[in-house]
Amino acid sequence: MECLVSYFINFFNEPSPRWAIFSRVLAATFGGYALATSSALFISQLLSSSAGRYQAIHIGLLLSFLVYACAAMWVFSASNATKAWIGLIKWNLAFLFGTWLLMQFSGASH
Amino acid sequence: MKDNFRQSMKWFHTWVGLSVGWILFFMFLTGTLGYFYQEITRWMEPERPFIEHNLSNEQLITTAQTYLQKNAQGIDKWDIYLPTVRNQNLRVGWRNPPEDGKKRGRYKTTVLDITTGEKVESRATGGGRLLYRMHYRLHYLSTKISYWIVGFCAMLMLLAVVTGVVIHKKIFTDFFTFRAKKGLIGWLDIHNVLSVIALPFHFMITYSGLLFFLFTYMALSTNLQTNEDEYREMRKEIFPRTIHTDSANQAAAMQDLSSLYQQAKNTWKKDELSAIEVFAANDINAQVRFIRHETDITYNPNDYVRVNAITSEVIEQTPREYTVAGMIHNGFYSLHEGQFAGPLARWIYFLTGLIGTAMIASGLILWTTKRKPKQLKKLNGPDFGYRLVEQLNIGTIVGLPIAIAMYFYANRLLPVSMVGRVDWEANVMFISWALLLIYPAFRPATKAWREQLQLAALVYIALPLINALTTDKHLVNSLSQQDWGFAAFDLTFFTVGCCFAFSAYKYKTLQPKKVVSRKKRRQDNTLDNDNRLQLPRISKENG
Repeated sequence: MECLVSYFINFFNEPSPRWAIFSRVLAATFGGYALATSSALFISQLLSSSAGRYQAIHIGLLLSFLVYACAAMWVFSASNATKAWIGLIKWNLAFLFGTWLLMQFSGASH
Repeated sequence: MKDNFRQSMKWFHTWVGLSVGWILFFMFLTGTLGYFYQEITRWMEPERPFIEHNLSNEQLITTAQTYLQKNAQGIDKWDIYLPTVRNQNLRVGWRNPPEDGKKRGRYKTTVLDITTGEKVESRATGGGRLLYRMHYRLHYLSTKISYWIVGFCAMLMLLAVVTGVVIHKKIFTDFFTFRAKKGLIGWLDIHNVLSVIALPFHFMITYSGLLFFLFTYMALSTNLQTNEDEYREMRKEIFPRTIHTDSANQAAAMQDLSSLYQQAKNTWKKDELSAIEVFAANDINAQVRFIRHETDITYNPNDYVRVNAITSEVIEQTPREYTVAGMIHNGFYSLHEGQFAGPLARWIYFLTGLIGTAMIASGLILWTTKRKPKQLKKLNGPDFGYRLVEQLNIGTIVGLPIAIAMYFYANRLLPVSMVGRVDWEANVMFISWALLLIYPAFRPATKAWREQLQLAALVYIALPLINALTTDKHLVNSLSQQDWGFAAFDLTFFTVGCCFAFSAYKYKTLQPKKVVSRKKRRQDNTLDNDNRLQLPRISKENG
């Protein structure tokens, strides 16, 4: 038990690079999920006129796992954790902005 | 993360794989067994007769209907499952009225003896269904929690597969590279070959696994885009299904199901009935659905003929069309479950599943093999993390197969009249696994590996023996009756046992060799020669 406790104390010992890794894990998990969702919104807006609204949503969902995977990989390849977070936020905003733009064109209420 | 993309991905691959490797191993192994779940259930209900018959579907349907009329009065929906190549028994099923405080009653299937039309009494067992359901419905956890855990692990598996491809420079050459007996490099080659050999399968099974709970995992996206009614409408478009036919509470005599079956035959031009569903049985609203066999991945689950059971007119006979995305989604389900597979394809599924399981195991072993030389040189012994991984490796990679064997032992050895027998079969399995996870903590790793491998060999080789002692379906009987289901079980158990015995033997012979060739290693001080250093030798050198 003692070795277990000391192990975890050492694990999160500041200023170790482990905090940076922890930050990346959070970025990949939650930031990645946000990106998967925003990309799904974008894709469904993009396709809704050609594939029908529900099918477009469905396609967006089907692809979201792949987006999630790419996002997570990107988070862990960025040179530092801050860059990873900033990159995720940028892409999220880009997708949301794209969705908004498409909505203006199609005049959809959603 | 690291200097370049490939290095970062290598790091990522290692840790993604390690963090949930053991759960993935569990999911892959129990899921792989699921390809034979019907066969496993049959093995676990040895009281069921082995039948060879030439009865027509009409005769079987009549037998089932007679039984249901007698025993399922007042039940709204009846199911009849016709014998298939995989399951020669005629079965009927229905959901009992819910017990107090429960939303849904228990679903119960009954095996019928096709000659007498009576129920076949067999022992209570979870069967293959309980075993394969564990791979997504983690046994003791609630449905919701297990779906999320399974989804998280599957997502990391997807990442491991994709990063695994990325870090591979020479995916083709590596396939033909095998440098056995070289410690680390040997394990790396094994891991590579196992990954590459079934790469499409690994990707398909992981991605399709995620799709099963797509709408649970990606609920945020649908919630943002649809309200409740729209969501329901969307689901209906994606998975078109007939709405349940409610009874009007007005009794009416149904036609013979066997004569109604003629309607389905006319539509199909072939006799390929798989199951029958009766809605609102013995009611004025009664309807019958004749369902066809699943033949390939383009199979439409709505491929049925719906007939009014009172007037015998056909209500619906052309399956509802899916959207393209729905077809793809459904195709992935089919690929994942492999229900369409014939015997050969089923074995291929089973073997590729085992390759996936072995790939995960080799990756986990690779992690410790790589760190072994450095860890063993530490003055205070290996790190806690290293020891934990090694212990979990032994307890899972060898421990889980033993635990699954214990599930089969429990089926044969627990008293047939025992209360809560179904639960205890699974409890025995998980208790054994827990013990085998703890055991390596008290033994040196090399000994724990060897002992558990020996134990695994013993339990699997003894399984056919236990089967012969507790039932009359031993190998001689099953072979002479050409009961391939039972024969295959005994032979597979024996083969698996022999594989474990071989691993135990190999493990034993590989260990001391390295100590003997100490001199040679000194002369040739390369990395991979350094990987199998033994603990006592190093401590001598250090001290």
